[in-house]
Amino acid sequence: MSTSAAEHAPGQAPADGIAARARGLTKAYGSGETTVLALDSVDVDIARGRFTAVMGPSGSGKSTLMHCLAGLDTVSAGQVWLGDTEITGLKERELTRLRRDRIGFMFQSFNLIPTLNAAENITLPMDIAGKKPDEKWLDQVIDTLGLRDRLRHRPSQLSGGQQQRVACARALASRPELIFADEPTGNLDSRAGLEVLAFLRQAVDELGQTVVMVTHDPGAAAHSDLVLFLGDGRIVDEMERPTAEAVLERMKRFDVIRSQFGDKDEGADTDGRE
Amino acid sequence: MLRATLRSFLAHKGRLLLSALAIILSVAFVAGSLIFSDTVTRTFDRLFHSTAADVTVSPKEDLKSSVPTGETRTVPAELARRLARVDGVRSTHAEVGVQNVTIVDRHDKSVGPTTGAPTIATDWYLTDRSPVRLTSGHAPHGAGEALLDADTADKRHVRIGDPLTVMAQPGTFRVRVVGIATFTTTNPGAALVFLDPRVAADKLLGSPDRATSISVFAAKGVTDPQLKQRVTAVTGTRDYDVRTAGEQAKSSAAQLGGFLDVIKYVMLGFAGIAVLVGVFLIVNTFSMLIAQRTRELGLLRALGADRRQVRRSVLTEAVLLGLVGSTLGLAAGIGLAAGLIKLMGTFGMNLTTAEMVVGWATPVAAYVVGVGVTFVAAYLPARRAAGVSPMAALADAEVAGLGRPLKVRAVAGSVVGVLGVAALAGCAASSKTASAASLLGLGVVLTLIATVIAGPLLVRPMIRVLGGAFPALFGSVGRMSQRNALRNPRRTGATAAALMVGLALVGGMSVASASMSKSFDRQIDKTLGADFMVQNSNFMPFNQEITDKVRATDGVRLVVRERFTAVAVRLPDGKRVETTAAGFDQSLDEVAHITYTRGDTASALADGAIAMDAKFAGDHHVRLGSVLPVEFPGRQTTRVRVGALTNQEGSSGFGTQGGLYFGIATVEKYVPGGQDTVLYVDKAAGTSADQLRKNLETALKPYPQVQVRDQADYKKLIHDQIAVLLYLVYALLGLAIIIAVLGVVNTLALSVVERTREIGLLRAIGLARRQLRRMIRLESVVIAVFGAVLGLALGLVWGVCTQQVLALQGMKALAIPWGTIVAVVIGSAVVGVVAALLPALRASRMNVLAAIAHD
Repeated sequence: MSTSAAEHAPGQAPADGIAARARGLTKAYGSGETTVLALDSVDVDIARGRFTAVMGPSGSGKSTLMHCLAGLDTVSAGQVWLGDTEITGLKERELTRLRRDRIGFMFQSFNLIPTLNAAENITLPMDIAGKKPDEKWLDQVIDTLGLRDRLRHRPSQLSGGQQQRVACARALASRPELIFADEPTGNLDSRAGLEVLAFLRQAVDELGQTVVMVTHDPGAAAHSDLVLFLGDGRIVDEMERPTAEAVLERMKRFDVIRSQFGDKDEGADTDGRE
Repeated sequence: MLRATLRSFLAHKGRLLLSALAIILSVAFVAGSLIFSDTVTRTFDRLFHSTAADVTVSPKEDLKSSVPTGETRTVPAELARRLARVDGVRSTHAEVGVQNVTIVDRHDKSVGPTTGAPTIATDWYLTDRSPVRLTSGHAPHGAGEALLDADTADKRHVRIGDPLTVMAQPGTFRVRVVGIATFTTTNPGAALVFLDPRVAADKLLGSPDRATSISVFAAKGVTDPQLKQRVTAVTGTRDYDVRTAGEQAKSSAAQLGGFLDVIKYVMLGFAGIAVLVGVFLIVNTFSMLIAQRTRELGLLRALGADRRQVRRSVLTEAVLLGLVGSTLGLAAGIGLAAGLIKLMGTFGMNLTTAEMVVGWATPVAAYVVGVGVTFVAAYLPARRAAGVSPMAALADAEVAGLGRPLKVRAVAGSVVGVLGVAALAGCAASSKTASAASLLGLGVVLTLIATVIAGPLLVRPMIRVLGGAFPALFGSVGRMSQRNALRNPRRTGATAAALMVGLALVGGMSVASASMSKSFDRQIDKTLGADFMVQNSNFMPFNQEITDKVRATDGVRLVVRERFTAVAVRLPDGKRVETTAAGFDQSLDEVAHITYTRGDTASALADGAIAMDAKFAGDHHVRLGSVLPVEFPGRQTTRVRVGALTNQEGSSGFGTQGGLYFGIATVEKYVPGGQDTVLYVDKAAGTSADQLRKNLETALKPYPQVQVRDQADYKKLIHDQIAVLLYLVYALLGLAIIIAVLGVVNTLALSVVERTREIGLLRAIGLARRQLRRMIRLESVVIAVFGAVLGLALGLVWGVCTQQVLALQGMKALAIPWGTIVAVVIGSAVVGVVAALLPALRASRMNVLAAIAHD
């Protein structure tokens, strides 16, 4: 079953094209008998200007999907495009530049360089590239995230929620084509988590950004426009305009399948944090 | 607990590698120097024991000069016949052996060793104890024949039938090589020429009735001590030293020992530096390992391990490391000793590695040093480990020990620092050499300790300045590298301290040596008026013939001779000062400018007069006109009148004091066998300096032992001599830098491991590998330059204070070699780049995903 977010795009903002695309994306670990398929010939389109969530139980391959789409990991087979650029086959140096200039990242924890203050962390990708940030845009991002009076603080002087907001600002600062967020609320209490999700939502709605978020929290997924469900390395379902209850119901069905067929390939999950 | 310790040791073996290397290096130098000196001592003990006569009678050694005088002390040869009649004596022999000769081949090249080992001319008298035997040709007969030792013959390509010229104190003579003598034991590196015993005394000592010593061989059943007693009964002890074979061997070994001691002390110096710098490395490694293991240690504590167990666990790890390091170091030390023995071989001292002696003291010292140093260095980190609270297991702290205040360090550092500065200030203000030198030593040690303690406090302000331009130059990569260096001041401080110690030493020594060079230059400019000087580059005396040749050279108007002798002066304050005095020709004023406070050159050099430094005179209550008893070698005494007092820089030095000199006639009278050491030459009117130099060089071509130098050449000679000292310091520095580099590598490598997630994050958001490498390189450079600046600053202070002590010795000029200092700072940056190579490579090879997922 090929699933495209773009085909079902009656979301708040009309999708104006494809931000990222994968065809036949396969990622295998090990070789021979012990081969484990983390991703099994996945086809996916990420619509531009939308907030897409990727959900699935542990070991479903959702983090691997993100890593492959973001050019952090190599693929075993298949092709991946960012916009019109095919990134499978790019050299390490070109991938680094692509991540730097065209993708924004938020991770679950350890998002910030401890030696740099908030402002320096936010502009880091552009500083690395030797580019001047767009000051107007930067001001807008900083104000949207409410970081104006925290800019001189070091990460150790910020709360977990504030740190994630700084990470969010960094991801937005260079106005990337795509922002990947890997469990951005995983380490936060529910209030701070809601705040971060609201900001991501705002980034899409008001700043016109494209966000892909990996999560296992149905509540978090409910903030997205579209949820893709991954199971055993395949996209098994999707849900538009999700609600937390609907997502939770859908997730429960994984558990049913699991309990029927027994736990499979626990080790295929590479992020191991869940 | 022990199992956990062993596991931990093995798990961290990669990270302990560099610490182990530091231990190996220091232990290798300790063991190597001990093995080498044991081997050499044993070899020469055996040589001297087996070759010494049962009893040797030699001239009494009463006065010794620290400057070579060219005089050979003798005994009457007739004594041999007298002693032969003593009861219990089987036979006697009047030995003739001198070292004040130069032997040249047919190309006017010296055949003597270039290593400072002596050229010896001696009589050919073969006994069962001779260290040599005739291996080709025949024994020398008559005045025109000689044997040469095989090693020298080989090295200088001399064959039987070749002519040699022997320049001895009584005169020069020519011989033909008629045979080759080969050492049956170890050749100590000297060149030997053997003459017919019937002519040796005449040719070498200038009289057939003299000998340099008498060998006495015992009849059966007479022990050496018994024989010594009987011989002493005849000779008395007033004019002679009588020694048994054992005593003689010890005395010969002691003479050789000076040279060997130098090697031993140099090696121990290397070991000391290696230990000193290694300690920083080990402390740092253990601190970092413990910081990384805080949670693990906390877990152990939470599970019920008490503080003592944790501390013991860390110390056990240190002891294991020490044991491994010592064992490998001992093996490396054996290799090092073997290498040194080989190296000695190229200098002509043929030792065999097969006779290598590893005494019981060597392994003991190796393990004491290796394990001891590691234990001591790991003690503080171990205490810190024991202080980890069980809560640390639960906390999510990044790195422990980061925020701990440096207050204790600040207080301790300032207290020690103030004491050190006070000692140095006292040294600078002191007017007595002895007290100034000990204050200097104390000040150096205290300021070093203070800087090491306070180092981490200086990290923030100094690296802010040193790396201040980084953000502007290298953007965020520069900013991050600067801040990484600031991140853990203790770690940065300890890493830089290793480099600091070595560079402080170099800074101090280079200031001292530059000041010495400048002082000598100034003194030479001020006092030396001669157009040329003829002398040996080792300041060894030469024979009369050279003086005659120089006098007879075209274009020479005037020659002033300088000759040294050992003297002992009894001063009015009751002190007896043994020193070296110089003798000059009367026209001294024409080749030198001497400042007199009382009297003049004429009164100084007058018959029966002596001149001395005014300050020395004042210290010992000597006045112009005082009459002083003076002893010369061989118990000759006279009284001299103080004819002049001088005010000279550098009146003492080279082990002499008082700046004593008199007319050369006095020396000739009391030391008839002396030789000239320097000839000061003035050109005649109408002869150009170049012309005179050419004439002198042509005239002196057959005399390779002396060179013609003008004032610039002479300054260069002095600079070269001072530079030798500096080269040694540079070699020590080299070792210190190697270990310091290991330390920087160590710190960076462990930091890279600690910052794995951060590096992964940076790579994920687009930091290129090249940029990552640059970031680590810049951090390394700023740490290295920090160490260098700290070390050089400390070294400059030490150097200036050392110069104050030298000034008391008359070396009043202060010179700071800015060129060297700038070069060292640049060099330290290069060191930083080199040290960063591997850690940077490792960081850039890190898998981005693994780094992000790192826990």
